[in-house]
Amino acid sequence: MSVRRVLGLAELDRGRPALPVGELSSDARLLAQDLIDTMRASPACVGLAAPQIGVPLRAFVLDVSGHRKARTVHGELVLFDPELLEAQETEVAREGCMSVPDLTGDVARATRIVLRGRDVAGAEKVIRTDAFEARAVLHELDHLDGLVFLDRLAGPGALHARRVYR
Amino acid sequence: MARFSLHAVGVDRPGIVAAVTGALASIGANLEDSRMTILGGQFSIMLVLDAPSVADASLLEEALAPASTELDLLIAVRPLVESAHLDAGGEMAVVSVHGADHPGIVSRMAGEVAAAGGNVVDLATRVVGEPEMPGYVMVLTVALAPGSTLESLSERLAQAAAELQVHCAVAPGDGELL
Repeated sequence: MSVRRVLGLAELDRGRPALPVGELSSDARLLAQDLIDTMRASPACVGLAAPQIGVPLRAFVLDVSGHRKARTVHGELVLFDPELLEAQETEVAREGCMSVPDLTGDVARATRIVLRGRDVAGAEKVIRTDAFEARAVLHELDHLDGLVFLDRLAGPGALHARRVYR
Repeated sequence: MARFSLHAVGVDRPGIVAAVTGALASIGANLEDSRMTILGGQFSIMLVLDAPSVADASLLEEALAPASTELDLLIAVRPLVESAHLDAGGEMAVVSVHGADHPGIVSRMAGEVAAAGGNVVDLATRVVGEPEMPGYVMVLTVALAPGSTLESLSERLAQAAAELQVHCAVAPGDGELL
């Protein structure tokens, strides 16, 4: 259990998909705990994927509780080997990334999604969500495929400077 | 580190970015942040560059002189003065204003932002629609003064927007991180 350093844009392994976690080991559970601890350590952080802390595995955590744009909220969500099953309707909205903290971008994302994955106990979960939680999930799934929000901008006008809280 | 800001303006044509950045690369200048756009057929670019081997802005202007002459560009280079405004600590807001076009919309809304202690850090405006009934769209990003709230700015701008007969929406600018 520890707060890990979040990799910056220049350090991320871009364009290479992360590997399946497969059968859950104690290492996988420790990874989940590190992701949660790292996410909780930054007040503005509501989601984090394993590749962002330098672990090339398909796992992410998120918690959008209390977010003003959230509708459906699952609380603290830990998913291994997540898989997107359905994605409907799109909306353009601004999002930021722990690995690119100086910038935000306007990105089109599905507003209603269904995904499947396994929780820390290894149980399969099917999750239906929408609005900001859907955006957060899709952002994390991108990380698992070696993508960041910058890969999805409509143009230079969709990129904005972000105040960095140091 | 010797950092400079560069502004270049001229009638748009193919090859301007290549010519300007080529001249900068030839003297070892490293481009940092930049923004380029075309408004009314006019090319405009602002960029920040790091030129460790350049002692004086005039040397950069000399290197750019052939491109400037060939492409009829107005180019200005200045030593970069750091500004701390964006890191002042207040919230960020995105203000969207739209309605029928008439003089004074930008100045009034920007005046309200300034009066609230806010700093406009990004601004884009467009005239849209048919010439006989033009609409106006303005989007600006504002760094609020520390302690100032989105709600108070929103109320102030709503009042001004009502008087200008335009629509105004204020949204949080900095989202959560993922």
